[in-house]
Formats: sequence, C-alpha cells, structure tokens
Amino acid sequence: MAQNEGQGKEPGTESAQFECGKALPAALLYRRCDPLELPFESVSELADAPGLIGQERAVEAIGFAIAMRRKGYNLYALGPAGTGKRTLVEELVREQAAGEPTPPDWCYVNNFEDPQKPSVLRLPPGRGNGLKDGMKRLIEELRAALPAAFERDDYRARREVIDERFKERNEEAFNELQRRAEAQGITLLRTPMGLALAPRREGKVLTPEMFEALPEAERTRIQQDLEAVQKDLEGLMRKVPEWEREHREAVRDLNRETTGAAIALMMDELRQGYRDLPDVVGYLDAVERDIKENADDFLGASAPPPGVPPGMPVPAQLEAALDEARFRRYQVNVIVDNGGLKGAPVIYEDNPTHQTLVGRVEHMARFGALVTDFNLLAAGALHRANDGYLLLDAQRLLTGYFGWPSLKRALQAGEIRIESLEQLLSLASTISLEPASIPLNIKVVLLGPPTLYYLLCAYDDDFKELFKIAADFDDRVARTSETTSLYARFIATVVRREKLRDLDREAVARTIEQAARVAEDADRLSTRLREIVDLLQEADLLAAQAGKPMVGAGEVQQAIDARFRRGDRIYRRLQEEIGRGTIRIETEGEEIGQVNGLSVMTLGGQSFGNPSRITARVRLGRGEVVDIEREVALGGPIHSKGVLILSGFLGGRFGRVRPLSLNASLVFEQSYGGVEGDSASAAELFALLSALAEAPIKQSFAVTGSVDQLGRVQAIGGVNEKIEGFFDACRIKGFTGRQGAIIPASNVAHLMLREDVVAAAREGRFGIYPIASVDEGLSLLTGIPAGEPLADGSYPEGTLNARVAARLDQFAAKAAELARAATSPVARS
Amino acid sequence: MKERIERVVVPLDSASEMEVAIDTAARLAALWKVPLHGIFIEDEELLGLAGLPFGFQVTLGGIQKLSRREIERYFRAFAERARRQLAAAAARHHLKWSFAVVRGPLTPDLLKPRDFVVASAATRPIGSHFRVRARWWSAIASSRHPLLLARRPWDLGGSVLTLLRRRTAGTERLLTLAAEIAELGRREMTVWSDVAAEEEIAGWLEEALAGRPLAHKAEKGARGSASLKERVVALDCRLLVVAAEGARPDDLRGIVEGALCDLLVIGEEGEKDAKAPP
Repeated sequence: MAQNEGQGKEPGTESAQFECGKALPAALLYRRCDPLELPFESVSELADAPGLIGQERAVEAIGFAIAMRRKGYNLYALGPAGTGKRTLVEELVREQAAGEPTPPDWCYVNNFEDPQKPSVLRLPPGRGNGLKDGMKRLIEELRAALPAAFERDDYRARREVIDERFKERNEEAFNELQRRAEAQGITLLRTPMGLALAPRREGKVLTPEMFEALPEAERTRIQQDLEAVQKDLEGLMRKVPEWEREHREAVRDLNRETTGAAIALMMDELRQGYRDLPDVVGYLDAVERDIKENADDFLGASAPPPGVPPGMPVPAQLEAALDEARFRRYQVNVIVDNGGLKGAPVIYEDNPTHQTLVGRVEHMARFGALVTDFNLLAAGALHRANDGYLLLDAQRLLTGYFGWPSLKRALQAGEIRIESLEQLLSLASTISLEPASIPLNIKVVLLGPPTLYYLLCAYDDDFKELFKIAADFDDRVARTSETTSLYARFIATVVRREKLRDLDREAVARTIEQAARVAEDADRLSTRLREIVDLLQEADLLAAQAGKPMVGAGEVQQAIDARFRRGDRIYRRLQEEIGRGTIRIETEGEEIGQVNGLSVMTLGGQSFGNPSRITARVRLGRGEVVDIEREVALGGPIHSKGVLILSGFLGGRFGRVRPLSLNASLVFEQSYGGVEGDSASAAELFALLSALAEAPIKQSFAVTGSVDQLGRVQAIGGVNEKIEGFFDACRIKGFTGRQGAIIPASNVAHLMLREDVVAAAREGRFGIYPIASVDEGLSLLTGIPAGEPLADGSYPEGTLNARVAARLDQFAAKAAELARAATSPVARS
Repeated sequence: MKERIERVVVPLDSASEMEVAIDTAARLAALWKVPLHGIFIEDEELLGLAGLPFGFQVTLGGIQKLSRREIERYFRAFAERARRQLAAAAARHHLKWSFAVVRGPLTPDLLKPRDFVVASAATRPIGSHFRVRARWWSAIASSRHPLLLARRPWDLGGSVLTLLRRRTAGTERLLTLAAEIAELGRREMTVWSDVAAEEEIAGWLEEALAGRPLAHKAEKGARGSASLKERVVALDCRLLVVAAEGARPDDLRGIVEGALCDLLVIGEEGEKDAKAPP
C-alpha cells in the first residue's frame, strides 16, 4: 500500500499521515481552527483588515493600471462573484483619485451662429454654476433695463423722427399721385388686394355703359390717362418694400445703439470675472451681439403666440412659457459641476447603456410639438467621470442597450459626443442637436467574471486594445496562521462596517472553518467574501433572536445549517426516495458488476452529493466499452472521455498478450438527467472489472475518483458533498458499521466534512478510504487482492487481475473459435 | 334729449377697417340698450370697373386684371368676416343683432329715423401707409342721422371735444349725445368754440347738461382749423363732436387722421330734407 502525506498542514497540527486503502483517522476529515490559537477574546479587539485577503496579484495589477496614463491602459478586474473586486478596486482608485487634481466643469451654451450645434465651455471646477448664475442675473436685469432704455424720451423722440420721416415720404408720394389722378378725373378705389384707378364723371365712376357711350377719341384719352397714372402707381408700389426695409433698418440701427448703450456696463462687469478664460469671454461677446440684434425680445414686442389673435390677452401660463422659451438661449447648461469635488471623480454607473454613458438629448413638449435645445443635453457617466475613473459591471455593460459599442467608440475617439440613439441608428430623420464633443481622459475599470474576460479577448479585437490590464482575483488563499489572522481581522471589519454583534473567538474559528469548506479545501480559505459576510449577518440575526449580546459558534453553525436547510428540498426528496427504495441504492451486501458512484448536484447555488448505482455488463465482442449515457446523449464529453480512458486502461493492462474480445456496457442506473465529468470513471472501472472477474463488489462502499490509463486514481471536486450524500443515504438505510466512501488519496487534503460524519468515522460507524490506484480500490471493494503482475505479464493465481485475465482469455478463445468456424469450408458451405 | 336712439347701425364694406367701427358700435348699443345692425355694402363702382377694359388693380405684387366674379367672391368673404365680427361683438355686450348685405349705396330706406350710424373712418392701408379716403366722409355734411367715424380703439384713453359755434335747435341734442359718450368712457368733455364766449358756452352747458355727473369745461379758441387741430392734439382728444351744418369734411379728415381720434357728426334734429349717408 502506498503511503501518502497530506499537503498544506502546518507543523504542530494534527497528524497528517494516512495509509491508502485504510480508513482515515477522524482528525483528517476536518481541519479545525482551534479557538485557543486565536489571540483575542472577541473581534472587537481586532483592527480592521488592511485590504482583501490573498489578492496581491490583483492589487499589483490595479496599481499598475492606475499609474499608467497611456491610452488603452484601462482595467478589467476579473474574478468570481463575491470576491470583493469592486470594494478593492474602488478603495484603491479612490485613494489614488484623492491626490489628483479636480477636473474642470463643463457647460453647454447656445451657438448663436448655429443653434443646432451647441458649443461647449470648459471652466475651472466650481465656476460653471457661477457663469450660469451670472447669465441668469444678466438677463433678469436686462429685462428691466432694456425696456427702460426704450421708454426714455430720447429714444422715443429719435424713433418718432424715423417713423415720421418714412411716413411723410410715403404719404407725400401717394398724395402727389392722388392729386395728379384727381386732376385728370381719375379716382382711386380700394380693391380687395390693392388699388384700382377709375375715371369719374360728375362725381360718379363711369359705368361700362357710360364708357361705351363716349366718343372713340374720349375713350382712348381716358385709357391713356389711366395707363399713365397706373404706371406711376405701380412704380410707387414697387418702392414700398424697399422703403419698409429702409425703415426697419433705421429702427434696428437705433435699437442696436440703444441696446448697446444699455447693456455695455452689465456685459463688461460679467466679462470681467472671466478675463482668464478666453472661450468664456468669446461666448459673452456673442451673447452681447445677439442681445443687440434681438432687443425686441426684451421689450415684449414680439408677435402673439400661435392661436392667439392680435390684440387678445395672452393667458398668464402661456405668457410665462413664452418668456421662458424666448430667453432659453441665454441660459448656461452646466452638465458637469465639479465644484464640490476634492480630487478626481470616481463614478460607478450601475446601468451602463448608451444614454447613461455618453449622455442624452432630451425633448420637451411646446405648443404640441416635441422640441429640444442645448439646455436639454444631459451628461452621462463618461462626462461625470472625465479626468477620473469610471467603474462598470462588464456583464451589465454588454447587455445594456448599446453601452459597449458606445464606450468603445468614446475611448477610441478620445472624446464624448452626445448623440441620441435615434441618430445613432438612423431611426429618425428629424432635426436634432449636434453638440460639440468633449475631450475624454478617463480610466475605465470593468468588473466581471473571468469567462467574460476570456470571451472578449477571443472575440472582440478592440477589447485588448482598450483594456490592456487584467486584475485577476483569486477565489481562495492558502490557509496559514497569517491568513487565519487576516481573516479574523476581516470579520472584525465586517462586524464594524455592518454594525453586527461582536463575535467571540469560537464563532470566528467556526467561520474560518466554513471558509475552508467553501473553498473545498482544508488547506485553503475562500476569498468569496460576500458569502462569509452573508453568513455573519445571518448569525447576527440568530443571536438577536436568541437575545444574545454576542455571536457565538452556535449561531454560526445554526446559520450554516439554516442556509442548507432553506435549499435542501430536492436533496431531502432524493434521500427520502432512497430510504423508500424508489431510488435503488444498496448499502449492504455484494453484487457483481455494480458499484455505488457519487456525483454532485448544484441547484440554485446549493450543492449536495447524490449516490448513483453504476452497473456494467460484459459479453463477447470486439473490444468496445459502450457508454450508454453517451449513446442516448445524456453523457457530456468529459464523461465520455472518462469511459474511453477505461478502454485504454483495459487494453494497456490486459490487451498486450491477448485480444480484447469483449464488449462492455456501462450505465448510471435511474439517471434521467445529464451526466458530466469524469469523477465516476473509477467507479465505472470497478464495475467493469467486477463484471469481468465475476467478483462481487461490497455495496457498503461508494466510490468517487477519476482514473488515468495507467490505473492511477485522481482527484475530483465536491468530495465533501459526495461523502455526505452517501453518509445520509446510509443513515436512512441503516448504518452497519461496514459502510464508507472510497476517495482519491489526493482529495484527503480537501476534506472538511460535516460534524456528524466526522463523529461517525470516529466511532467506526462510517469510514473514508483513500486510494491512489485502481488496485487499491479493487481490493477494498471485493476483498480479493488485486495482484501485482509477474515477470511474464500474468497475475498470481487467485488474484482479481488473474480472474479478469482468465475471463478475457475465455472471450478471446471463444472469439477465435467462432472466427475459425466462420472461415472453415463447412461453415462456408 | 328729446329723441331716443333706437338702433346702432354699422355700415361696412370691403375697403374699411372694420374692427374699431364694430367694437365702438357695440359699446354704444350697449350704452343705449338698443340692437346692433350691420349692413355690408357691395361696392357697385368696383363691380362696374371690372367691366371696363382698364379695370386693373395694382397691388404690392404687381398688376392684376379685375374680374367681376373674383370681386364678388371677395365681397362674400368680407361680408362673412364682417358678420362674424359683429356677432362676436354683440355676444360680448349681450346685444341683439342683425346683419344684411346690400349692393349699391346706403339708401335712406335702409336706415330708420332714430338710427345712430357708426362707420370706419379709415380704409385698410396698403404698404402700411397708403390709404384712400373712406366713402363715409362724403356723407358728413348731409347726414341727418348722427354719424360717428371711428378710428381710435376704445381702450385708448382721451377726452371728448365738442365744437360748438352757435346755439341752434340741435345744440342740446349734440351736447347730450357727446356727454353720454363721454360718460361711457368716464372722460372729460371740453366744449370749444371759436365764435361764442366762454361764459356763453358755459351757460349752454349748464342748460343742456344739468344734473349730469360729467366733468366738463368751456373754451374759447382762435378761428380756423389749425387752432382746432392744435387743441385736439393738446387735449389728447379721443372724440371730436361737430354739428353737420357747416362741417368741412377735408379739414375734419386732416384733424381726425392726424390725431387718431373719432369724429361724431350730428345733423339738425327734424330736418326733413336731410339726405342719408351714401
């Protein structure tokens, strides 16, 4: 028998020695955390943990990504859920951000040259709102100051002079024409659209009859006179638009001059505060020009709104809406205000879509239509995190509507361009805004599972260009006195942060043991800290319900049990059916070609062991091992691989001196779902060899482990759950004292079994048997020595391998006989 | 006043500015609690012109040939617009109202003896300033009915100025009507004369307006329309009231258009040979 030594055990701890094929001592079934070795009474005595436990690699990667300011050095933090990725990244990033300069404010303002393309202004942090308030005050003051300027006598007098001058010119020209017409007996009539000239005789307009009665010469003269006046009238009419334009220009010049004088001081005062910002001064110059051009807006002299007839009073609500619309173009839309920020921003966007990342163009209803302007531009997370750090959940980013393509485009272009989705997808052809883009300088951190990282690396060429750093979070850490101590401090941190009851050291010890169980390794501790935090919170509630001031080991254990109990309905049902014999699991007696295998089921995050009956049948054939699960498409590829390895093993051990003239079939009895993994390959091999040797297998054992072609038994996952599953089945069926589980020797280090299993082992009611080779397993299961090969390749008489070889020889002889018979002349005839 | 107004009539045509005339007429009808009657006159002269070879209209857009059919279509549109505005004004003042469309001049048989006529003092302008003379000006001197030529929106303030040269049989009627309209707008009334002395005018006023709460005063001015025009402007006159006898339409039109005020012309009561407005 091979002698193995467990790994990872610290000097001075319980014996790490075990012998293959022999029941393990109880001490090796569960590695305790001795409370007496914890140097505190309760966690309230402990300082906070300095950071995450066992994530040095990830910390180094994050540090590098933060320090590297080059393009594309964004970070993907990958690791299983609950390892504290976000907590650690955020902590490190915030630490760095605090020492960095506070980024500027960003404002969108009207582009007076082209309102569809709003301009952007960059101001030192906190000054954006100052500009916004300044502009608001300016407009309010102008709404009072400008009407006053236009009410003054000097303006009125100058305006009257202009009006009078134009009126006189018009009237003089028209009256002159009228006088000339009257002198020729022609009168002017107002027609629906203009004027008509009519000859008048004795105060009355000539009727067609009267005209016809006139002599030819008179008619011709009248017509000629009319045509001459009509030509003059036409010429006069043609001048009207020109005169009106001149009038408007003259009034506009006067208004411009009056406005300029009225606003100059206020504009200068406002400009004074932004002398150091040429862009803002340029904007204020544009504002001044626009106000001069549109002084009427401030005088309340604009046309009545649609639907309101001239002269009718405008409803107050509508008036207010009109006012708001009239002066919106002078507002300042501060889309990023970093006034209250110290250092660089760190933003976590929990819903990363196109709009929440790059911002959006909003619309509002006005007079029955949806309209937009620069005031309705809203910032996205990229704006808020610009010159800082943006944290995103990778899975949400990829499933969020157009979040990933938009983020990539912004990072590649190095700028943020607010575009509506309709524009982006060319879904709407209505006029929208094209705001000026904002330069982007950002460090993006994606938080996600490893699979997503590897998929992105494989399928998205841009990803590797944009996310050059990966921070790989481990889900376990070696269990040493140092990490145990760190774990205790982590528990202390959680207790303080979550305001939980204090934990005594027994509770801490039990929590640490559970961390090893979660890690599925007695020598490792899980770094999926969320699960541990949940456990502490649940234990705290139980302590509260029990009226205890402190959480003890009992509450921690209760919380563990309660959690399992909440999700064990299916497990209990399976166990119940085993007890009733509906699911046939033998836990005593012997059977040829039948062995108890062990598998693990994971349902809703709850894992439990499930014993299965594996059977094998052999017959004369051509050396094939048929995996019935695969034949009916219930077996996964790894399981099929495991079965094929069995053929390799058989061929290697027995096929060198004889042809393998057999066919064998293997099946998981009463299995109606898929089977995956190779952890049952050892059990399948035992069933097969039992069938070949016609040696009965003790049904009091269950087996788990994979085998290689050389007959070595290899480690599998979920060893604790598998053993506990068979243990529970035995309890239901009744303990005999001979029952136990056979596991790979390399899994001994992973044992963190339930207390009742350990107790049963200690009392000799249930055994855990490590094996390193198939032969060790065969001897255990059958009670027959497996037998070492002799020099000629044969096995000693009476050994199990000798029986297998003999059976194979029989098959080969029979096959040869049949072959000869088939090829003999008699047979042929 | 011996004679009571029984109806306010608004003659309208396609050339007139209608809003102010209709609003003024409705307010006066409400004052006297009488019905409002609109008469839309289709201009025969314009229709006749359309039949002549030189029947063109000159507009800001160029020259167009006038067609009888087109003009009639315009008349119908204007008449409908006039009817709606009249109905709206009557509804605002809770008045009974009626409306008629006639072709040709406003003949006496279309008016009743105790009608008060309100017409527009101005035609619709072309190019903001070009206005031809409204047809109603020619009726000033001959109208037996009180004729108010409206120009000034009622909301605009201003006083009432009554021109009185000598005392006649119609003086009391003139002063009473002027006073009633002044009272309606809570306005001050000035009685101005370039002939009679202030004391004399004051006496007439005492006699005609005794017991009325109206603020009024008498003024003696220099002769001539320039002097009157000056006073009209100085007093921010909204209504100039004159007797039909001796009224000179051209002078009055100059004053009314310059000062943007209304003109009320009142004929002698009981003149049997008086002509109706055209």
